[in-house]
Amino acid sequence: MASLRASLSLDRVGAVIAVLIGVALTAAPFVTYRANRIVAGEGRMLADALPPAGVAAVVLAAIAAAACAALIRRPAIRLAAAALGLCAVFPAVGVSAGFVAPAGNGFARVSPALGFWLLALAFALLAADALMRLRLGPWVRLAALAAAGAAIALLLLSGAWADLSLMKEYAGRAESFWREARQHLWLALGSTGVACLVGLPLGMLGHRIRRLRTALLQVLNIVQTIPSIALFGILIAPLGYLAAHVPLAAALGIRGIGAAPAFVALFLYSLLPVVANTITGLGQVPAAVTDAARGMGMSARQRLVEVELPLALPVILAGIRIALVQNLGMATIAALIGGGGFGTFVFQGIGQTAIDLVLLGAIPTVALSFAAAILLDALIDLTQRGAHDRD
Amino acid sequence: MIEIERLTKRYGATTVVDDVSFRVEEGAIAVVVGTSGAGKSTLLRMINRLVAPSAGRVLVDGEDTMAIPEDALRHRIGYVIQGYGLFPHRTVAENIATVPRLLGWEKRRIAARVEELLDLFQLDPGEFAQKFPHQLSGGQQQRVGVARALAAKPALLLMDEPFGALDPVIRSRAQDDLLAIQRRLRTTVVLVTHDMNEAFHLGDRIAVMDRGRLLQYASPGELLLRPAEAFVEQLVGTAERPFRLLSLTKVGEALEPGHAEGEPILLSATLRDALSQLVWLGREALPVVDAAGAPAGRISIAQILRHGRALP
Amino acid sequence: MSRRAFVLRGLALLLFVAFVTAPQLFAFVFEPLAANRAPAIYNQGSLLALTLSHLRTVALATLASTVLAVALGILVTRPWGQEFLPLSRAIVNIGQTFPPVAVLAIAVPLVGFGEKPAFIALFLYGLLPIFENTLTGLTGVSPQTLEAAKGMGLNARQRLLQVELPLALPVILAGIRLSVIISLGTATIGSTVAAKGLGEVIIAGLQSNNLAFVLQGGLVVALMAVLIHDGLGLAERMAARKPGRHGGEAA
Repeated sequence: MASLRASLSLDRVGAVIAVLIGVALTAAPFVTYRANRIVAGEGRMLADALPPAGVAAVVLAAIAAAACAALIRRPAIRLAAAALGLCAVFPAVGVSAGFVAPAGNGFARVSPALGFWLLALAFALLAADALMRLRLGPWVRLAALAAAGAAIALLLLSGAWADLSLMKEYAGRAESFWREARQHLWLALGSTGVACLVGLPLGMLGHRIRRLRTALLQVLNIVQTIPSIALFGILIAPLGYLAAHVPLAAALGIRGIGAAPAFVALFLYSLLPVVANTITGLGQVPAAVTDAARGMGMSARQRLVEVELPLALPVILAGIRIALVQNLGMATIAALIGGGGFGTFVFQGIGQTAIDLVLLGAIPTVALSFAAAILLDALIDLTQRGAHDRD
Repeated sequence: MIEIERLTKRYGATTVVDDVSFRVEEGAIAVVVGTSGAGKSTLLRMINRLVAPSAGRVLVDGEDTMAIPEDALRHRIGYVIQGYGLFPHRTVAENIATVPRLLGWEKRRIAARVEELLDLFQLDPGEFAQKFPHQLSGGQQQRVGVARALAAKPALLLMDEPFGALDPVIRSRAQDDLLAIQRRLRTTVVLVTHDMNEAFHLGDRIAVMDRGRLLQYASPGELLLRPAEAFVEQLVGTAERPFRLLSLTKVGEALEPGHAEGEPILLSATLRDALSQLVWLGREALPVVDAAGAPAGRISIAQILRHGRALP
Repeated sequence: MSRRAFVLRGLALLLFVAFVTAPQLFAFVFEPLAANRAPAIYNQGSLLALTLSHLRTVALATLASTVLAVALGILVTRPWGQEFLPLSRAIVNIGQTFPPVAVLAIAVPLVGFGEKPAFIALFLYGLLPIFENTLTGLTGVSPQTLEAAKGMGLNARQRLLQVELPLALPVILAGIRLSVIISLGTATIGSTVAAKGLGEVIIAGLQSNNLAFVLQGGLVVALMAVLIHDGLGLAERMAARKPGRHGGEAA
C-alpha cells in the first residue's frame, strides 16, 4: 500500500509539465493563420484548428500525458506518455493546416503557434526527464535516435505536413535546401575533420613538450574568444589577397568572400577543443600505467597506440564532440559572407521577417547538432572500456 | 644471476645512487631496504634501464645490460610497482598477456600461459580472465600485477614496494604467496621496500641503503649479529633484534630429544612462533611433530633463548 | 602577472581606446583595402557610440542571465528542487545545441527588429553556461565540508551563503565569463537585426564590398572580446586567490 501511494504521489517536475500542458491547451493558439505569406497572422485555438475528432484525440493524449507526468514516477511509463503526446500533436498540426486554410487557396499560410510549441516542449521535457532517469546504455540511445529520425522522416515523407507554411517554404526551394544542406555539412564536418587531423598530432606534441603546450593553448584560447563574424572578417582580407596573388589558391576555389574564410575560421575554432582535450586526456593517463608499460618493454609507439591513446580516447572524443556541435551551429554564420549553409535561409528569413523561412534553416541546424551530440556521447560511453561497469 | 657493479646515478650535483655494487645469486631474493629518498627505487630502475646510469654497469647472467636493446631487455625482466599500473582498458587476461604478445607468442600459447598463471595465483580463470582491473579487490589486483610480470617467464623479477598498497592482513598473505611461488619457479627477485619486517620475511640477502650509499649487503642473520654501521643497527631496531633472529631459525634446527606435554608444535614453525606459544601456554617445553603428525622431539624455552643471543 | 604580459595588455587596451575614439588616425592602415575611393574608416556612425551600445546590450543581458541562472542553479540544488536536477542538466545539454543565431532569428518575428531580439537572444543563450557552472560549482562542494558546516550548527541559509556560494564562486565566475564571450559574439550578429553594435561595421563592409570596413570591424570586435575575456579572467583569479582555494578552470 505504501509503495502504491509513493508511486502515485505528486511529482514536482511532472506537475510543472502538466501545468505547461494545461496552459498550452487552454490559453494559447494552436496554429496561426495568415491569408498570405506577408500579412500578420491570427491565432486559432485548438478547438477551431482541428476537426472534432482531431481535437478530441489531441486533448485526450495531452491529458493522459499530463496525468502520467504528474502522478506516475516510473520513467518508462512517462517516456511512453511523452511519445504518445508527440505522436498526437505532430501529425495534428499537419492536419490542422489543411483544416484551417480555405480549400483551394494557394496563398494561405498556416504555421504552428505558441500552443503547439508549448505542447511539443512539454512532451520533449517529459521525454528528456524520463530518458535522464532511465540512464539508457549507449546502444539503446543510438537506437532511440534512429527511431526518432525514422519517425520524423515518415512524417515528412507521408505528406502529413505538406500544407504547413514551413513545408511550403521548403517546396518552393527544395533544390537549394539540399544544396545548402550539403554545404552546411561540408563546412562543419570538413572543418572538424581537418581540425582532428591537425589537432591530434599537435595535442600529442603539446603533451610531450611543456613550452609548446602553454603557447599553443594560449593562442587557441585567444582564437576561441574572437566572435565568429569578426574572425570571418579578419580572414577575408588575407584570403582575398591569397586568391588574387596565388593562382593555385584561386584555382582551388579560395576566394576572399565565400566558403573559404568560413571553413578556415571553423577549423581554427575547433582546434582548441581537440588540442586541449588531447593534452588533457593524455595527461590523465595514470603515471603507474605508463611506468608499467615502459617497464614491460613497450616502445614509445606501442605505449602511445596501445595504452595512452585508448585511455585518452573518451576525453579526446569529448573534445571532438564540442568542436562538432559548435561548428554545426556556427556554420550558420557562414551565410553572412556568402559561404552558404542553412544560415542562408535564416538570414533570408530575417530579411523578409518570415519566421517559417528562419525555421527552415534553424530546425535542421538544431536537429543536426542534437543528433551529433547524441551520437558522440554514445561513442564516448562505448570507448570508456573498463572505466566503469559496462553491464 | 645479476651483478651490479659500481652503479651510480647523479642528477646535476646530487648523487642519488652512489657507487653501489652487489650480486644476487640465481633463484635468490634480494631485498633493498632504506628510508625514503635512499635511492632504492632509482637503483631498481637502473637494472631495467628505466633510469640511465651515470656510471657503472649491470650484468644479467653475465651479459652487460647496455649491450641489449632497451625494450628487449625489459621483455626479459619482470617489473611490479606499487600501484601495479594495470591497464584499466584491458581485461585481466589481456593485461597478463601483454609481454607474450609483444614477443609475438602464438595465440594458443598465450592463452595457455594466462590460464596457468591465473591458476598459480589462485584466480579462477573462468571468473577472472574477462574482468577489468577496477572490478578486482586490491589483493586480486596485486596478484594480477605479479602474474603479468611473470608472464613471459623472466629469469629476473624487479619489485618496487609491491605490497605497499595492501592492508596488513592481506599483505602478509600476499608475501607468503610470493615466497611460495618464487620457491617453485626459482625466479631471481630484487625487491625494494621500506618495511624491515618485509625485508626479514622475504630476503635471502638484504641490502641496506642510506642516502644513495649501500651500507651493508648480507644475510638477515649477519645483519642482526654484525651490523656494519650504527645506522644499520638502528634501522634493524634494537628492541626487535632477538625476535627477528628467532624468526630466522626453524624449530627443526633447534630440536631436543625427548618429549613434553601439551599442544604440539610443527617442525617447520619458527623459533619465534614456538616461543610465543610457550609463553602463552605458560609451559617450559612443548612436543614437536612433523608435517604428518609423528612425534619428532621437543622444544624448550631454554633452548630457544640460546638461539636468540647475539653471541652463542 | 609577468611584466611583459602587463605591458602587452596595457598596449592592447590603449590601442583599442585610441581606435574607437579617433579611428581617423589609423586610416593609413586600411586605405590599401578600400577600393574605388571608398572611405577607409567607417563613416556611418561613431565607433565609440557603437562600442558603448554593444557593451551595454551585453552587460544588461549578462546581468539578467546571471541573476536568473544563479537563482535557478541554487533552486535545483536545494533538497526540494532536487527533482528538477536531471531535467535541468538535460535542458542545458539540449539548449547548447541551439546556435545563438537561431535564437536571434526566431526572436525577430516575435518582437520586431532592433535591440529587443538581440537582448532576448543574449539573455536566453547566456543563461546556459552560467546555469551549468552554477550547478557544477554547487554540486562540487565536498560532502565533508557541508557535513562539517552542518555539525557546527550552520542552518541551510548560512551554509549556502557562507560555504557553498563562496566555494562555487570561481566556477560561477568562469561561467559568467564564457557567457559574456558568447554574448559579445551574438551581439555582433545582432547587427543583422538592426541592433546597434560593432557588427554594423562588418555588415556594412560586406554589403558595400568594402574590405577596409570588414577588417577594421573584425579587428575591433576581436580586440574587445580578447580584452574583456582577459580582464574577466583576471577578476576570477583575484576572486579565487583566497587561502586554500584553487581557481579552477571550469569547462
